[in-house]
Amino acid sequence: MYLLRLALASLGNRRFTALLTVFAIALSVCLLLAVERVRTEARASFANTISGTDLIVGARSGSVNLLLYSVFRIGNATNNIRWDSFERFAEHRQVKWAIPISLGDSHRGYRVMGTSPSYFEHYRYARSQQLQLREGRAFSDDPFEVVLGAEVAQALGYALGEKIVLAHGVARISLLKHDDKPFTVVGILARTGTPVDRTLHISLAGMEALHIDWQNGMPARGAAQVSADQARAMDLQPRQITAFLLGLNSKIATFSLQREINEFRGEPLLAILPGVALQELWSLMGTAEKALFVVSLFVVLTGLIGMLTAILTSLNERRREMAILRSVGARPWHIASLLIVEAFTLALAGVLLGLLLLYLGIAGAQGYVQANYGLYLPLSTPSRYEWTLLGAILSAALLMGCVPAWRAYRQSLADGLSIRL
Amino acid sequence: MSQPLIELSNLGFAWPSQDELLDIPAFHLQRGECVFLKGPSGSGKTTLLGLLGGVQKPQRGSIQVLGQELSRLSAGARDRFRVDHTGYIFQQFNLLPFLSVRENVELPCHFSSLRAQRARQRHGSVGQAAAALLAHLGLGQPGLLQRRADELSIGQQQRVAAARALIGQPELVIADEPTSALDADAREAFLQLLFGECREAGSSLLFVSHDQSLARLFDRSLSLAELNQATRPADH
Repeated sequence: MYLLRLALASLGNRRFTALLTVFAIALSVCLLLAVERVRTEARASFANTISGTDLIVGARSGSVNLLLYSVFRIGNATNNIRWDSFERFAEHRQVKWAIPISLGDSHRGYRVMGTSPSYFEHYRYARSQQLQLREGRAFSDDPFEVVLGAEVAQALGYALGEKIVLAHGVARISLLKHDDKPFTVVGILARTGTPVDRTLHISLAGMEALHIDWQNGMPARGAAQVSADQARAMDLQPRQITAFLLGLNSKIATFSLQREINEFRGEPLLAILPGVALQELWSLMGTAEKALFVVSLFVVLTGLIGMLTAILTSLNERRREMAILRSVGARPWHIASLLIVEAFTLALAGVLLGLLLLYLGIAGAQGYVQANYGLYLPLSTPSRYEWTLLGAILSAALLMGCVPAWRAYRQSLADGLSIRL
Repeated sequence: MSQPLIELSNLGFAWPSQDELLDIPAFHLQRGECVFLKGPSGSGKTTLLGLLGGVQKPQRGSIQVLGQELSRLSAGARDRFRVDHTGYIFQQFNLLPFLSVRENVELPCHFSSLRAQRARQRHGSVGQAAAALLAHLGLGQPGLLQRRADELSIGQQQRVAAARALIGQPELVIADEPTSALDADAREAFLQLLFGECREAGSSLLFVSHDQSLARLFDRSLSLAELNQATRPADH
């Protein structure tokens, strides 16, 4: 115990270097834990995005691509699929429910998704949670009604009854606006922590009405224009959609139906299992994730080497201290222990300060990260894995402390009681 | 009379791959004796003190302290033996600057239970022993005990170092040029205090210095150059 007192007093005497060392370790620990936490939460939030859907069906492309545009609203579909293909599989005897998805428009950077009321009924996220309306209602028969995701409403400050104009295409700045056919906000969904929060939901009829007078990807001019009221009276049965989600009566049928869809002769379709595609997506991201982790590990190592350097540099100027301690009876192993205690104390202080920085950082950035990246970072106590990491850092510090300890041991044996300057 | 405190016989020592630095046929120090050992720098006095402290081992001959042959003890036992029976005062900067005056004085008691026990026997507690010693050495001012050691003047620091050497009444006090940083008046005053405390504690004093003018104050005065038969003093 007295050694601890001596080590702390000696460190206190060199508090400027000691504080710098602690700060370097703290920053590296904070970085490592932050990377780890973002990684874990990103993985969890990815896995939580879709639940209870047995098959996702779209035009034939890659499974990751289909997953990305249908669920994560990232990227675009290569092709649309015909409405009758959807109808055919929606009425399949194995299918319990089907949700059509039609994409391609946006509103101030947020994607617009055309769908049917079955979306609000059957779509599940996280652990089988249903979408909840925080305000208002789902869209009904009027085609020009929109239900906002929580983040869209919050970020753009929209309330119920607001009239908004959708834009053609998904670019943040779109030159082609559907300003002849404004939509009324009728509902706002509760927050889910998934891409649903960043989506505007309209009916398939609404999607159809937006484009009813478009030809060759351009809006009609003059007399060919169809007004909103005229559109309401027209037949708004969609002819094409982008993808659809299927829930089956029995999980056992998943593979046979998947094969049936993939071999469908009407048009080239692709059916994927969300879990499998998520896994595939994650293995793609895994490399970047590992690289980030390795980089932060090296940062921690750099922090510890900084500590080692600081202690080693101090050894020479502390020969007097060692000789005095030897003269009052400290044995060489006491001197060695002092240095190990010192290394451990620095690392421990670094780890604690790092944790503090992490929590301050999370508390400060939580809202921003949630709003901009849809990632919820909880202020939770460190996980077992994180404790393991911290333990490993402390062990590494102990191990590194052995280097100056050994040198001081040798030095104090050689110097003995003679005080060298 | 009784057995001498230190008895060297036929001692020979050389640093690795160097000529023999010390060759002392005989030297002894009686209990309670205050001896002046004149040793100019380079005469091997630091090495001799290292040998007496059991930090180095002689190549030949014997060093007995309190009848104990030092070279028969293991390195750890020599360290323990040293702190149990010897107090050291060095030239200057004797103290750990980051500890308080009182903690500096108490240091040996943390490493030697024998000295802690003696301090308690005589003064009730280690802390009281430190305070009493410091008061005797003229450092009884209130608040001084808690000050950081490096806030004191050099003269005060040397008196703190003396208190540290004397706490727990070691049989031997070794002083290596403790007065070289003090001016002439302070030197003699310091020595008188040191003598008084050594007498009180019953400790012998081995005082090494190059300053011959102090020799008259001691029971006995010797010169290392005369003791040492080694032909050519090395640089150490």
